[in-house]
Amino acid sequence: MTRSQTIACGMACVGAMLVAAPATTAVARTTITMSGSTSVAPLAAGLAKAYLKNQANRRQARFKLLQGGSDIGINDVARGRVTIGNSSRDPQPSDPGGLIFNKIARDALCVATNRANPIGNLSQAEVQAIFSGRVRNWRDVPGSRVSGPIDLIVRTPASGTQDAFQSIFMGPDLRVASSAQTKSSNGLQQQAIRSNENAIGYVSFNFTKGLHLVPYKGVACTLRNAKSGQYGGSRNFWMVTRGKARGEVARFIKWIRSAGAARRVISTNWVPLR
Amino acid sequence: MDAAAPAASPAAPGRPRITGIGDWSDRRAELVLGALACLLLLLIGLMLATVFAKGWPSFRENGLAWFGSGGDVDQQLLDIFNSPANPDAYVYHLRAWPLIYGTALTTFGAVAVGLTFALFAAIFIVEFAPDRLRRVLEPVVRLLAAVPSVIYGLIGILVLAPFVDGLVSTERKESVAFVVQLSGANISVATLILTVMITPIMIAIIVDALRAVPRAWTEGAAALGVNRWRVMWTISVRAARPAIVAAVVLATARALGEAIMLSMVSGSRGFAPNPLDGLTFFFEPVRPLAATIVDNAEGLQVAPFGQTIYAFACVLLVSSIFLSVGGWLAKQPLRRYGIRP
Repeated sequence: MTRSQTIACGMACVGAMLVAAPATTAVARTTITMSGSTSVAPLAAGLAKAYLKNQANRRQARFKLLQGGSDIGINDVARGRVTIGNSSRDPQPSDPGGLIFNKIARDALCVATNRANPIGNLSQAEVQAIFSGRVRNWRDVPGSRVSGPIDLIVRTPASGTQDAFQSIFMGPDLRVASSAQTKSSNGLQQQAIRSNENAIGYVSFNFTKGLHLVPYKGVACTLRNAKSGQYGGSRNFWMVTRGKARGEVARFIKWIRSAGAARRVISTNWVPLR
Repeated sequence: MDAAAPAASPAAPGRPRITGIGDWSDRRAELVLGALACLLLLLIGLMLATVFAKGWPSFRENGLAWFGSGGDVDQQLLDIFNSPANPDAYVYHLRAWPLIYGTALTTFGAVAVGLTFALFAAIFIVEFAPDRLRRVLEPVVRLLAAVPSVIYGLIGILVLAPFVDGLVSTERKESVAFVVQLSGANISVATLILTVMITPIMIAIIVDALRAVPRAWTEGAAALGVNRWRVMWTISVRAARPAIVAAVVLATARALGEAIMLSMVSGSRGFAPNPLDGLTFFFEPVRPLAATIVDNAEGLQVAPFGQTIYAFACVLLVSSIFLSVGGWLAKQPLRRYGIRP
């Protein structure tokens, strides 16, 4: 490349930038950025897509969605790096101050076993005994079709799903046994339970394909039971904002909580609030 | 500017003076490449400093006991993750021995098995393989060396782990159920897949080195009536020793840093397998340092937990530096006799 060509190239690049800059600012659209929970991410993406179907909304807003985990979402929004932090766990006293948790939906958390071991029912006491390691053999679990030791498949400590399981099923005093295998995603957990007859674990409802879902307190883990409120193992999905949501963000969250279109998106795999 | 450039560069005393545009473009290339190299050094330096600074609190609170054993490392990680928000009350207690030991076990196991295999495979390819077979073998080995590790991980978790799970008897699982869960994802599967992953690189490097041995040396030996095998073993392999060390260093580095595959097939449990357990040892889970970092990256935002993760990264970085230096030192006495790769 000769010198004059290099200069021409450089000029062209600078020129393109000068032209492009006013072009993007000319349309005054608000960019709503989100980060956080991997469990909430599919729902957030579906909601954003449905929201932009409306012509008026498309002129007003656009979305950027990142993942990373509930704690990352909460920390990002607290530092102002994103406008909305997605969280699949409830607020904790250790969270940064000044955050508003907006509940957007509920999600069923199912206790799951291998298909070869279709357990009829587990009470909360039984779930606690199994996951805390007090009962370690399937012989001691009524209704089990397999024998041998119980293989616990759980999530890593930083996961929102792990946090929800701890608070809904185990309570404040019991811990999941430390001999459990820890998996870093819902999908790996699902795979481990599918390939091991002695396994038991817990997964979010849209990762339950190929697994046997154990009824909890006599109620099957289905979307219908979760929607009716009978199923006891449901957790909340939150969109977290710094201070009260304003402007386009407030409109988006209000739309999620009231519009029929949003309700239809949520109903596919999750539980709408009303 | 072009016209001014030659005038501004006085000819170096020992170098013939080149005038015109060629001189300037040479100097420009030198400057640009030099700047790039310096930038790279600067980046590496900054990276080291950042990782050390971020991981320091974890080392400071634990002292040398950080590297020791004691308690359940997964439980300690959980406690660190659940630290209170108050910086004075952060929990740092950690005894990382099971993770370090797991890293060492999988790495050395894989390198030891892989090196034996790679050495003989390379000798076969260079000296004994028929031409037609060699034409197929060599590209395949080079292709295998480039397969992304996550693919090995998928094969491990979908095919190998369920198969090995069937080999572990229920009695064996029950006998240790109160200490650790045995499953298809365990130390032998992890080491096996790691071996398959790093062997092709070693084969490729050793093959190149054996080929570079001067023909006169091997032909001289053959002329004295030594058979092909002994020529390979006593002349070529000896001469290629520096390259074999380089292959081992490269393979060890890849095994040390392997994260995602090991996170999938190693059992994901911070446990130190005990060789005294007999056959059970081979079915016990481990979780090397790099896999621990991948598994727990979600919790980076919790301050003390993030610092602990950085401390793991620090140990990995330092060990890879030691590895390079060790490899260089090991090569020094060999270089005098061997060829120089």
